[in-house]
Amino acid sequence: MRQVSGRAGGRVEKEFRRTFDSLDEIFQFIESFLQTESSSPGLLHDVNFAVEELFTNMVKYNPSGPPDIALGLSVEDGDLSVSLTDRETEPFDVTQAPPVDIHRPIEERKPGGLGLHLVKKVVDSLEYRHARGTTTIKFSKSLR
Amino acid sequence: MLEIGVGEQGEIVVTGRLDAAQSENAQQFLDTIAGSAVLDCAGLDYVSSAGLGVLLKTQKRLMEAGGGLKLINVNPHIHNIFRYSGFDHIFEIEPASG
Repeated sequence: MRQVSGRAGGRVEKEFRRTFDSLDEIFQFIESFLQTESSSPGLLHDVNFAVEELFTNMVKYNPSGPPDIALGLSVEDGDLSVSLTDRETEPFDVTQAPPVDIHRPIEERKPGGLGLHLVKKVVDSLEYRHARGTTTIKFSKSLR
Repeated sequence: MLEIGVGEQGEIVVTGRLDAAQSENAQQFLDTIAGSAVLDCAGLDYVSSAGLGVLLKTQKRLMEAGGGLKLINVNPHIHNIFRYSGFDHIFEIEPASG
């Protein structure tokens, strides 16, 4: 983990190693940031959840990418804004992930495929951008 | 971090975060469970989609053998994730009180 910028103007950003083992450090980073905001346990849960799903997708689907993935947090007009940035990526628009039929019986269900469906459920907005090999995914969550 | 083991009443007790980094350890433990079992989630803070996959795989295996997993003391945030996943129709779930 490498801090690439401190907190300035309500925004922090850090880079985390491209491994699932970064999750504990990521959760600590988010919790530390939200401690200074008037946030609820539900907000912390949902932000941790969405970040894990998006971060682990970057780990899984870009295993040969650069060593680190950047996570940024900021507050603007009562909304928490979260960004994840990965380089040397192929395009994959997470906002266009196919819908999941959650009503299928257990016999027809297999582990996996729920992550992006659930991210859309817990965040207020989700944006995707891919330019010059860099993927940036942003989501927001109201602090009110 | 995640801790998982067997409690005094024979229930499975899980505490911490069931995330992508911990799912393999949880799966290894749950693969040893047979029949019908109760999973006490009172100390469980968080379940990601990787954790949901572990629970689904376990439930499918147990149900095929006539058993199943009952989840108790599930906090409201995790309960929401189960509902959004349709897992509230796959598992017997007892929410945390209060």
